[in-house]
Amino acid sequence: MVSIRGFGHPALHTLAGAYVLDALDDADRARFERHVARCDSCLQEVRGLRETTALLGSAVAERPPERLRAQVLAAAARTRQQPLAGAADRRAGPGWPGNRVWRDLAGRRGWLPRVALATAAASLAIAVALAVVSVTTQHRLNGAEERNRQVAAVLTSRDAVLITAPVTTGGTATVVMSHASRMIVFSARGLRGLPSARSYELWLIGPEGTRPAGMLPPPTHGMTAPMVAAGVAAGDKVGVTVEPAQGSRQPTMPPVLMLPLPD
Amino acid sequence: MGEWSEPGETRAGRPLDLGALLARVARGDEAAFETVYDGVAPSVFGLVRRVVRDPAQSEEVTQDVLLELWRTAYRFETAKGSAMTWVMTLAHRRAVDRVRSAQAAAAREARAATPEADPQDAAEAALDRIDKERVRRCLGALTELQREAVTLAYYSGYTYQQVAGLLGVALGTVKTRMRDGLIRLRDCMGVEW
Repeated sequence: MVSIRGFGHPALHTLAGAYVLDALDDADRARFERHVARCDSCLQEVRGLRETTALLGSAVAERPPERLRAQVLAAAARTRQQPLAGAADRRAGPGWPGNRVWRDLAGRRGWLPRVALATAAASLAIAVALAVVSVTTQHRLNGAEERNRQVAAVLTSRDAVLITAPVTTGGTATVVMSHASRMIVFSARGLRGLPSARSYELWLIGPEGTRPAGMLPPPTHGMTAPMVAAGVAAGDKVGVTVEPAQGSRQPTMPPVLMLPLPD
Repeated sequence: MGEWSEPGETRAGRPLDLGALLARVARGDEAAFETVYDGVAPSVFGLVRRVVRDPAQSEEVTQDVLLELWRTAYRFETAKGSAMTWVMTLAHRRAVDRVRSAQAAAAREARAATPEADPQDAAEAALDRIDKERVRRCLGALTELQREAVTLAYYSGYTYQQVAGLLGVALGTVKTRMRDGLIRLRDCMGVEW
């Protein structure tokens, strides 16, 4: 990697060409994107040069094998979309269609039966929205900043994967997992409301036993703020049960969510 | 941008309003997605194939890109550029990611960076395959160094450091030629952004 630090903005500006050609390494790309965020003329130039490179791309069009069409359409039909949080995602950075984080996260994909495992790129959208929710509603809490830092660490880890699954009593759970840090970020939206004496409790359930991972906070605009659970072990599932509001040491009710984590 | 703004066409040959289709795709419209596929798949596949080369991997990457469109169509914003550019930007990044991770894996295993084919051949091969007359003409109007810098990065997926090594010129020269080469192309092709 060649550092361009120390040459100041003029040197950064000249990277616009290499940037739109995707010819920068991650570090230089990040520096350039930070620069563009403060430089309207650079942004304008990047847009024009991107339109130009797209024409270079379309100029070498080649009809793909016919079977690919059926494959892609079938895969789309069973792949969950990520309509959430588009607005928040747009705040995430100047590097349309994605910033460096977006790019770092891209490329991990696949799905489990009946479970949409979207790219972690998409997770960023949700994550940013969740972080925004938590920042705006919980800034008064001392622990919020540390929690947000942990959330961000998981979401920006290079091995982050996103899993979503329906909750049996209604709503959708979203888990972003980083194998490397053995942490998950959990959030849910659209959960069924509970009487005040009851709360949802999160669990890690696997060969190492059933460990409580915290009470879900009450939802804001239908969405629970992200929770971080550490110490995820091989073979763990993420479980959610309805418990007395103060929480339980072991689940007392059948789970409303039991989500296997990818190995 | 006129005739260049939306290179895709539907199977029936009608011009494609890709931005409007993406808005429908963002709402889960599978029929719209089919139309998007027909409109953009040749451009996506052609570019990915140029960069990735291996046919099977090119198909994989193309499928990834199309599914990414399906999942994240809501991200597209008209104000930031044309829809086709958004698609091609995504396609190029995915293709380059694939090439670089393959390079990294190969480098780890072999610990030997085998030089690629002669860069001048690569640049000329790129030019040969380009069937859009105007693009070809505009690329031909660049200096040799501009053209090689742009095509090695864009069609072969090299970083600017690698391009500098292949061409035997200074890093600063390469990044400058990439930028002024693209600016000249932009003006030659009448891009308005």
